[in-house]
Parts: sequence; structure tokens; C-alpha cells
Amino acid sequence: MSGWLRSCVSGTLGVRTVKAGWGVSTTKFIEENMTMGSVTIQNLVKRYGSLEVLHGIDLAVEDGKFVVLLGPSGCGKSTLLRMIAGLETVTSGDIAIGEQRVNDMHPKDRNIAMVFQNYALYAHMSVRENMAFSMRLRKTAQAEVNKRVNWAASILSLEPYLDRFPKELSGGQRQRVAMGRAIVRNPEVFLFDEPLSNLDAKLRVQTRKEIKELHQRLKTTTVYVTHDQIEAMTMADQVVIMRDGVIEQIGTPLEIYDNPYNLFVAQFIGSPGMNLLTGEIVQGASGKMFQTGEVTCEVPQDSKAAVGQKVLYGIRPEHLQASMQGSGLSATVTVVEPTGPEIHLYATLAGHEICAIAHQRLDWKPNDELKLNPMIEHVHLFDAETKVALPTV
Amino acid sequence: MHDSTFKLTLRYLVSILIVGIFVFPIAWWGLTSVKPISAVFDKDRIVVFDFEPTLENYRVTVLGYSKRGSKEDGKTLMGTSGNNSYDGRSSIVSSVIVAVGSTLITTIIALLASFGLSRMQFWGSQGYLNWILSQRFLPPVAIIVPLVFIFHDMGLRDTHTGLIIAHTLINIPIAVLLLKSFMDDIPIDIDQAAMIDGATRFQCFWMVILPMVKGGLAATAVLCFIFSWTEFLLSLFLTNSIRTIPVKITTYVTSTGSEWGYISALGTSAILPSFIFILLVQRHLVRGLTMGAIKD
Repeated sequence: MSGWLRSCVSGTLGVRTVKAGWGVSTTKFIEENMTMGSVTIQNLVKRYGSLEVLHGIDLAVEDGKFVVLLGPSGCGKSTLLRMIAGLETVTSGDIAIGEQRVNDMHPKDRNIAMVFQNYALYAHMSVRENMAFSMRLRKTAQAEVNKRVNWAASILSLEPYLDRFPKELSGGQRQRVAMGRAIVRNPEVFLFDEPLSNLDAKLRVQTRKEIKELHQRLKTTTVYVTHDQIEAMTMADQVVIMRDGVIEQIGTPLEIYDNPYNLFVAQFIGSPGMNLLTGEIVQGASGKMFQTGEVTCEVPQDSKAAVGQKVLYGIRPEHLQASMQGSGLSATVTVVEPTGPEIHLYATLAGHEICAIAHQRLDWKPNDELKLNPMIEHVHLFDAETKVALPTV
Repeated sequence: MHDSTFKLTLRYLVSILIVGIFVFPIAWWGLTSVKPISAVFDKDRIVVFDFEPTLENYRVTVLGYSKRGSKEDGKTLMGTSGNNSYDGRSSIVSSVIVAVGSTLITTIIALLASFGLSRMQFWGSQGYLNWILSQRFLPPVAIIVPLVFIFHDMGLRDTHTGLIIAHTLINIPIAVLLLKSFMDDIPIDIDQAAMIDGATRFQCFWMVILPMVKGGLAATAVLCFIFSWTEFLLSLFLTNSIRTIPVKITTYVTSTGSEWGYISALGTSAILPSFIFILLVQRHLVRGLTMGAIKD
């Protein structure tokens, strides 16, 4: 086995120690020559008969970016990915990879690689043959095939398993083989279709990290579909939130978390979810206030919310400072969930079920009275009718 | 869990009993084939092992020697020609040609058809599947008369080709359905992965799907072979001089009596080719061939 390749990869995946020798330069050569491609999607529509599942998607994925399509089941994210791959036809609109419009191009000519949720390995081929299959079809020289397979195996720590068959591997190893099959042939774009859904929780966290490291190392444009917001938040350069065949918001994970464009995004991102109270804006002594039932609380004064406007008041659990006494909104604890690093406190406030995250290990008990102080700079206001976030002045 | 000795013994006893029930008729058949005629028909007792074993029955039916001291030498019986009407050699050859030929053609056609039906969406694909299935609704006896006329007019009657075609026709529906179910078990993702890897539709079939349905293919081939090997009605009606083994054996039941020795000898010999065929393909008859391809 190629010792020179292994020597390029230190214990941790992706951390490379550059040493002298022709081997290192070969590895570097492979990695530096990995092509990159942007993906541009314009007004993309997909219809199955009379059912329209994608309603005019516009999306630009820059070279080398890791973009996650995130949304609930049935939002069209997988369909979009499969259209990029060429596995679904385009009803109208355009898809371009790099400079080339690929609408009518066969998947094999798009220079993409895809990792499927259920691995989709060739069961009758060894790991080596699985990885070499695409190059075998392209009649690549055997020496080159060996070089690339060994390179991919070293990156994914698959060297000991090259001659095994998929059935002899664990779920995580199979998923790595699927990734190996994708990276060996140096595609312009990687497409991942919920690749972690079949792994158990621990392995999912580990593989997530491996995929991210792989991307940091190869810098190949990646489009990744998931319904798991944690995956999206942890891996993406950009998150595309989809619902019912339309894009709700595009942004970096933190942008989306901090400034959700509308109620759907606000609720979809974050766990436990954002607290939402329905009420209206009233004029208080010190300016605009939010009122729900008997409870009034402050709102950012630079908000465009008008007095008398029906709004939804949103605040994330970690932005509700909880204490046992002192000033603040009074709520009654219903459920206490210690998670280790923090405690999730569920409580009722003016008839609303809310959640706060406490970092102090106080002796919280159900039916205790709780004092809550919202951090005003983290308050989100949404129009009750349009469900869109109200901008600041 | 540790079973008690009693349970284990009971399990073995029951197994032996069941195996015995199935093996006994075959064993008795084999035993009969090496008995002299006097031992087959003993009015007073059932002869089990106390007889002088003879290979005479095999000599006549399988090796084609004349019956010793027979008056029937040179006589033609039910279309068989030659000196020895009990010579089963040509019928063994016919059976092998027909069974292998029809199995080969059936599996090739069924393989391609089932791939299309399993993988491609086309107008009326479901109706087409039902139509294929409907071909088995009619028992062969219901179509035998028109089939004889058609085959006669086409010059296919009494030819190996004709019988191969007839058996293929009967076998195709079940082979298509069986193979389709095996192919349906392979997720479409595998095809798509292959296509993204650069495979054409045919390469996908040949290099990916075919190796993965090998087990199903073997099972289908065995079924087709056994059907063709044992098929009687079509062979009886569509042939005169060519006689497959099942038809040939019936000619041993004559107006002057049944030649049990010959019947059992040819019957026992008939087990052998199908046994060899099944042995050849049985190593492919493994379940879980797609194991590992996907998350199960």
C-alpha cells in the first residue's frame, strides 16, 4: 500500500503534514488540480403532471462553497438536487455548472458526483472496485486508477478495507466508500443527498466532521441536502432554506439564525425553537411596548413596528435570562430538562408555553415561579398577518 | 439458549422422518431400477434388499442394448425407431436440448424484459405486466389444439426448435415476473449512482444490475429447466419422433404390460441431468446478494 500517501495524512483526517518526497508532490498535485465549478440555477420549475413541486428557484452556488439545502420533508430540496445531478428532467428554467448549461446533459457528462442516503454501493464489487468503477468506465489507465483510489482511501482511512465487500463494512465505512467513489474522479461538484440519515447519532457527528474536513481540504463545490438543521448549521458556508418548492431564505448559518427572514425560518432553525408570543404593539411610557394579555415587554425601539400593529414576538430560549427571584416577567415552571451543559426550563407565561435556557444549576422545580428577562437586542418581531420579520429603521 | 438433549433428539428425529418421507420414493425407485423383474413382481412378499442386483434395465434404456431374448427386437413402438424400442438415449438427448435451449432463451428474454419493466417508466407498463401474467391464466391443455395446427403449418412440429419455442412461451411469464421482483429489490439509487459514475443504460444493466440479480437468475433458470425437463403435454402433442423423457417413459406402458424396470431405470437416470444442472447453478442461489449495497 502506498506508504507515501499515508505519510501525507496525519492521524486526523484532513490534517496534512507536508514532507519531502515525490509522493507528497503527487498528492498535492491531485488536490491542487481538482476542478471547481459554480452552480447557477435560474427560475427553475419542476412539474409532475399538474403538480408543481418547484416554483421558480433562483440560486447561485459559488466555486468551492459548501451549500446546504435545508427544509422539511416534501419541500423540494431533494428534487432540486436530483435536477442538478440530471436524475430529474427540468420542466423550465436553467441549470448551469461552471459556464455550461446542463439542462439536457446526461448525468455522466455533468462532471458531478453524488452520495446517496442509502449509500447505493455496488454490492458485488470490492471497495476498490466500487471506487474505481467510474474510472473503469472512462477507460482511465490502470496506474492512474490505482493512484487515485489509493489517494481517496488514504483521505477517508479506507486503506485496510480496499479488498472487502460492502456487506463486510459498517454503516459509517460504507458511507465513506460512497464518498470515496465520489472524490476519486475529481468532479466539479459534489452532491450529497441526506448522507447521514442512516447513521446512528454518534457516527453522524463524526461523519459530519469528516465531510466538513473533506471539503476544507478539497474545496470542491458542494451541494448538500438535509432536513437536519444541526447539520446545516455546522457544515454550511451558506444555508438555503426551502419550503413548499420555494426558497425562504439564503444566508450563512449565523445570519439565518440571528436574522430569520420570516416566521417559518425562525421556527425551523434552533432547538429548542424560538418562543413566539402573539399580541400587539402598544404605546408605553418609555416608547413602544409589546403586549400580550396582562404581560407587556420592551421591544427594540428601532423596529418599524407601528403602534396598534398585531405582531408575533419572538425570542430564542437562550436569550431569555431566567432567575428565581428579582424583577422580570413572571412565569410558572412546568417541566425541567437538565441536558448537562444547560437546563431547559419550560414554563407558562400569559397562557403561552415558553422555553428558557438556564446555565446556572439552580434547583428548579415544576410549579416554581420564574423571572424572565428577555435580552432586548435579540427580540424578533414578525407581522402577525404576513409572518415576515419587521425590519428596523 | 441451550436446548435440552430431549429437545435436540426430538428435533433430529422429526428432521430424519421428514427427509425420509421425501427421499423414500426416490430411493425405492432407484432400488426398483436395479431389481430383476422377478423381484419387482413378487406376489408373496415385498423384496427390499434380498435380490440379485442387475444393470439390465439401464443397459437397455440408457445404453441402448437390445432386450435379452426379446421378441420385440426390431419392432417399432409409438414412433421410436431402431431395433430397441426401449432405447431412451435419443429421448435423453432431446430432453437436454429442449430444456437447456428453452431455459437459455427464456432467461435471456426474461432478463431484458424484466429490466425494462422494473427500471423504465413507459405508457402502459403496468397493463403490460398484467398482460404477461395473463398468459399463464390458460392451462396448456386449453391451447394445445390450436398450437398443434400453428406449429404444423409453420413446420415446427416434431422439431427441437418447435418444442423449445413452446416451452419458452410457457416459461416466459413466470420468469419475467420472478426476475422483475428480484430487480425491484435493487434500489433505483444504484442505477442512478452508476449513471452518475458514467455508465450508459446498458452498462448499468450489464455491469451493475446483472451481477446483483445473479441469484435470482439462477433461481429462475432452475425453475425453467425443471419445468421443461418434466413437461409432458406439449411434448406429447407437438412431437412424434422426438420424444422427451416424460413422453418416452409412457411408451413403456404397453398393452402387454408395464415395464417397471425400464420405467424406473430411465426415471432414475432422468434425475441426473437436472441434478447436475441444479448443482451448477446452486452456488449462485444465495440470498442477500445485494446485502451491503444499501442500508437495510
